[in-house]
Amino acid sequence: MDQTLSGFGTVFVFLVLGIVFVAGGYLTARMLRPSRPNPEKNSTYECGEPAVGSAWVKFNIRFYVVALIFIIFDVEVVFLYPWATVFKPLGPFALVEVLIFAGILALGLIYAWVKGDLDWVRPTPNIPKMPEMPNRRIGKANG
Amino acid sequence: MFEMPSGAEIQSIISILKGGAGFFVPEIYLSALFMVLIILDLVTGRKNARFLAAVTIAGLVGSLYYIFKQQAMPDTEFFFGMYALDRFGIFFKYFFVASGILAVLLTVIDDQLKKHESGMGEYYALLVAMVVGMMMMASSTDLLMMFLAMELVSLSAYAMTGYLKRDPRSSEAALKYLVYGAVSSGMLLYGFSLLYGMTAQTNLTRIAMVLAAHGYDPLVMIMAVLLIMAGLGYKMGAVPFHFWSPDVYEGAPTPVTAYLSVGSKAAGFAMLMRFFFVAVPHGMDMYVSPLHIDWLMILMLVSAASMIYGNVVAIWQKNVKRLLAYSSIAHAGYLLLGIITMDQLGTQSVLVYLASYLLMNYGAFYVVILIANRTGSENLDDYRGLGKKMPLAGAALTVFLISLVGLPPTFGFIGKLMIFSALLSKGSLFMWLALIGILTSVISLYYYMLIPLNMYLRESERPEEGVVETGMGAKLVTATLMILTLYFGLFFQPIANYAKYSSVLFGAFLN
Repeated sequence: MDQTLSGFGTVFVFLVLGIVFVAGGYLTARMLRPSRPNPEKNSTYECGEPAVGSAWVKFNIRFYVVALIFIIFDVEVVFLYPWATVFKPLGPFALVEVLIFAGILALGLIYAWVKGDLDWVRPTPNIPKMPEMPNRRIGKANG
Repeated sequence: MFEMPSGAEIQSIISILKGGAGFFVPEIYLSALFMVLIILDLVTGRKNARFLAAVTIAGLVGSLYYIFKQQAMPDTEFFFGMYALDRFGIFFKYFFVASGILAVLLTVIDDQLKKHESGMGEYYALLVAMVVGMMMMASSTDLLMMFLAMELVSLSAYAMTGYLKRDPRSSEAALKYLVYGAVSSGMLLYGFSLLYGMTAQTNLTRIAMVLAAHGYDPLVMIMAVLLIMAGLGYKMGAVPFHFWSPDVYEGAPTPVTAYLSVGSKAAGFAMLMRFFFVAVPHGMDMYVSPLHIDWLMILMLVSAASMIYGNVVAIWQKNVKRLLAYSSIAHAGYLLLGIITMDQLGTQSVLVYLASYLLMNYGAFYVVILIANRTGSENLDDYRGLGKKMPLAGAALTVFLISLVGLPPTFGFIGKLMIFSALLSKGSLFMWLALIGILTSVISLYYYMLIPLNMYLRESERPEEGVVETGMGAKLVTATLMILTLYFGLFFQPIANYAKYSSVLFGAFLN
């Protein structure tokens, strides 16, 4: 029980230190920095370009598909890395297991590929009711 | 902080995992089926719905063999106490495979899904994934595994609900389901984390041990139990966690509605029973449990509210799918009655009730699909005069509805009888709940019988149409379900015995 409590204590100390660090940073900055706002500075930061339109634009659904596929392989790496560090004592059984694991994920990628979810420019729009989004907007959402 | 485990340690972990895999065969088999379905979908092209349905049914039937083989194995916990193989779990494995097979049978006849433009590959794969998830929900003995299993079921269910992409109602249902589901998953997880914070254990049995040995903070405990109850209540569709269900049941494709209302509800009940019976200690004395936590009272209130709300609101429904949604809320209330007794008889009665619910609810939805294929709607008014045009379907629907009310000589009657007798065997303690149950059953008689009333006693607006033929297969399935509902209403002993055999596990904890 003692060990657990000290474990939670560590988390608590981290929490407090984190809050103090961030709050301290803001506080110091507020005391030191000059305050000279202008419209340019007050506008939303969009990678240095002037902000265009509202932030409530419709995002193209394809961004989510790509993000999902990215996450799948991101997670795969998270699992593969610790596996690689202890690979030697694990032996051939673990190799087969990881191949199955990677194979399942590869199947997911192949699936998305064959179903055409990776084609950025579709031959025909899949959802006819949705108005075609101007390219400029897509670029914005991306940036 | 982290020390690299030595080679010998790793080898021993691997051998434990290998040993556990032997008890995990049905789940592995079905996961493989899931991937086979995806590959087949990729290989065979667009017009493969019938082929994939056949593969799915064959695969699900095949899994029955592996579950059957498990019956000979001794009860055991494996994967470091995360997962259990026991009779209770095996009962639910049969149950979920059966509900998966029936869901495929419903899908095959559904016209809406037949016309689906991007194929049914994902649908059948998700259906199988959900069977695996539900099996895991019933067998998990660890908080983390429980959560994982529940998410597997939920995610598949969201996608299946929204499968009719072009239908705004289906998309709306999926979005609502997703949003409610995310919130309730969060609550469940919060409850789990509180429980873990108190005990530093995730295994259910060990949680019970630590709670009994070291005590607990009553406020935190009640908080944790309430949050977990909210998460599970969402899956079971019990009041006050039911808000998603009418909209989702109405908007989802009808086979999915049937699948959710039977499969995922039963999975919620399986998990609730395992969690409350094993992890939260209690004694024979109902009011003074060793921990002085009156979670029983919470369950009683949820049950009473579900029975009253579900049955009363169903009276005003004009859409049959919505009506069945409210009736399924009410059935969650009846099922909770069996859990409240907290003894083997009560557990047995819940299992029997679920078995009857499987037959009668799938049966009712099957006929609803047949009728919707013809009339293009699920409105009560469009059922006028259908009894003469679709004689078999009309008769079958009447039988299923009588069974849902709980009148003899149907299976539903046996289920309800067992639940109420289990409740009353506890003496006068639960008399008021039994009274509510019986009174609300009378209310349900009214709204269920509205459907046969429309079918038989009211004239159709288009009387010139003659008898409508449904396919041979559809007739066969309808008749089989109807006959089974009646058959088990008379000869229920085998199922009751098997349910008793399956509920033995909790006898040790409860008595």
